[in-house]
Amino acid sequence: MSVAPVSKVHIFVHSGRKAELLSALQETGLVHLEEAKFEGVDLRRNAVDASDSDRTLARLKHALDVFADLDETSGLKRLLRPKPELSLKAKAEALGFGHDRVLDELERLESERNALTAGMKGSDREAGFLEPLRDIALPLEAFRGTRTAEVRLIVVPAAEAERLEEMAAESPVWFEVVSRDKRSCRVVAILPRESVEEAEAVLEELGAVPVDLDARVAAAGPGERIGDLLAANRLERGRKASAAEALEADIKAMAVHAPALMSVHDLLMNDREKALADRLLGETEAVSCIEGWVLGADKQRLEKKVSSISDAAQVCFREPLPDEEPPVFLENPPAARPFEIITNLYGLPEKGFLDPTLPLAPFFFIYVGLCVSEAGYGLLVALLSLLYMKFARPRRGAKQFAKLALYLGISNIIFGTLFGGWFGFPVRSLLLIDALKDPIPFLGLSLALGFAQVWFGTLLSMIGGLRNKAYAESIFVKGGWLVLLPSLLLYFVTKHPAAGVAAIVGASGVVFFAAPSRNPFSRFFGGLYSLYGISSYVADTLSYSRILALGLSTGVIAMVVNNLTQTAFLIPVAGWVLAPIIFVGGHLFNLGIGFLGGFVHSMRLQFVEFFTKFYKGGGRPFKPFRLENKYVEFVE
Amino acid sequence: MTLGLLLAISGGALAVILAGIGSAIGVGLAGQAASGVMSEDPGKFGGILLLVALPGTQGIYGFLSGFLVILKLGLISGQVIQPTVPQGWAIFIACMPVAWAGFISAIHQGKVCTAGVYMVAKQPKDSVKPLVMGALVETYAVLGLLATVLLLNGIKLP
Repeated sequence: MSVAPVSKVHIFVHSGRKAELLSALQETGLVHLEEAKFEGVDLRRNAVDASDSDRTLARLKHALDVFADLDETSGLKRLLRPKPELSLKAKAEALGFGHDRVLDELERLESERNALTAGMKGSDREAGFLEPLRDIALPLEAFRGTRTAEVRLIVVPAAEAERLEEMAAESPVWFEVVSRDKRSCRVVAILPRESVEEAEAVLEELGAVPVDLDARVAAAGPGERIGDLLAANRLERGRKASAAEALEADIKAMAVHAPALMSVHDLLMNDREKALADRLLGETEAVSCIEGWVLGADKQRLEKKVSSISDAAQVCFREPLPDEEPPVFLENPPAARPFEIITNLYGLPEKGFLDPTLPLAPFFFIYVGLCVSEAGYGLLVALLSLLYMKFARPRRGAKQFAKLALYLGISNIIFGTLFGGWFGFPVRSLLLIDALKDPIPFLGLSLALGFAQVWFGTLLSMIGGLRNKAYAESIFVKGGWLVLLPSLLLYFVTKHPAAGVAAIVGASGVVFFAAPSRNPFSRFFGGLYSLYGISSYVADTLSYSRILALGLSTGVIAMVVNNLTQTAFLIPVAGWVLAPIIFVGGHLFNLGIGFLGGFVHSMRLQFVEFFTKFYKGGGRPFKPFRLENKYVEFVE
Repeated sequence: MTLGLLLAISGGALAVILAGIGSAIGVGLAGQAASGVMSEDPGKFGGILLLVALPGTQGIYGFLSGFLVILKLGLISGQVIQPTVPQGWAIFIACMPVAWAGFISAIHQGKVCTAGVYMVAKQPKDSVKPLVMGALVETYAVLGLLATVLLLNGIKLP
């Protein structure tokens, strides 16, 4: 349970071997790089332009996104599929695959397909325009008019159709309604050229709007009608659609290159990182200086690796200076490592503070189990995470998260059996407390756990204080609280005088040492005021009562789901279909909500009630310069 | 139906109604913000979903309390218990903590989660921290639920 010791490392190498050394550092992943600087030495910085590789990476990512969208494997299968492995020895071969050619081809296909899709949309718009006019029997050339008459297509509001007829009878306009819908009529009107103005005035009064057919009329062949245009349009659209489909199939066929592109993406991504790392280096005429941090345990490995690269490289280590804040790397036994996720979420320990991972692990494990208290759900989560670990073979963060989920599943199997049930059905013979019948013992258990954790937090604060040589404060004030809290509780329960005496002893430690001042009055009254801090201990402990409420809520909802399922079975015929859906859907919903609440509230109990006693986050993480991966898994 | 039964049922119904309204408002607030963020970046769905779901728990607490009242009154088993008027009032009042604490806290939790959604939009890696902020508000709904459960448990019906 500790923060691993780290040392500062400087590596000096001849500039000619720099690239090789950086590759080796990246492959071993031991050094957290920092900007190299030496007092009194003017080091030159390398300017690095990564815009080319950024562009290539963006193109690769786009291509892989396109292929992922076309991938028809189900979500669960995809989740359980491991990343393809890539040996670093095969790097040159993987990069020689010719990704540019594939990307160019894919982008060409995509842009052609996009042009076709846009063309199809245009055709649809044109068809939407022509469809209502399909019944015009006149050939398009008729709209050019004659020597004595103009032929126009107009749209008239539907409400004015009758008035149009009346007015047509009085004025020199001939018309025919071609189509009508709720709002408007499309009308072919013939106006004599000699009285066009008069006719236009009449139409304007009706709110008629002319439709522009000029371009289509100009392009029309002899005798061509709107129906013909429409037929040609549909034919054209069909042709575009099948061409687009063929292109889509071509794109799909290119997905065979996806694994090769994945390898290229990850290799180039790491090359880019390596190029960017060059920015951190300091250069003189012939020497490159690399500066960073390395774990104490890794020093020898690093030295060996560097000397294997070149005799012209020198590694120097030194311990961190008092004013330096080295990056933080947590070191825990493998079983506790998944709980580092919780510590990481809050923030890594600041310099001089304990790693809280191991202290929080057992509490977190128990709380999630009690808050969800559903053994059936626990079994599901445990199985799912086991499957994921077996088939998807995750590494690093994902693996730790899967392990955490497995722990929380196991915790639920245990505490769900003892305090809750299996999918809403309690196993009475194994039940320690039936919270639904009598919630008080469960409440007592929650508060007892809370009291234990708050007390433990104070103990850790005392240990931390002793490590930092704040003896008086740690022994008398923290120690005072450690004696006062349990003895006061014991006194209230048993009224035993010895407990009372112990409480007074503890309290006096707090009173006389909590406010260190020369003035005895301000020391005494300041200390007395500090005793008021007991209210925060009480409040913190009471906060753990949420464990009961959350535990009950999952259990009751599971019961409701079972109740609904039973009721659904009473419906004839349909019940047999409906009931399983309600059962599965209801329990899945409850699992989601239950784990969300259980996880978040258990975490809050660590952060707000426990950490505040002894812990301060704010350390920066130890991030070694190493091979990162997104799509493939690198192997030696 | 006696007045006592009517009062008890009203209490259970109010727990479901008020906490449910609160949750609906809270989830509504966060959901709108989430949709706005996802219109820019649909990939954030996973990180945001939990924040939108969080203010929904009050509705569940209310429903759960309502269900406990239903169980207590034997409305499901068919053996309906007829509480006296004071007992009916007692059940009614026992339902109030979860009803009101749920109602108000869900709305405020919705606001906190909305801000959290905006935070995740800018800091996608920190999607858990705003969940903890939301849980701070939810504490009072949980305490309301706890009070209601303990009170209901303490009311002994014939």
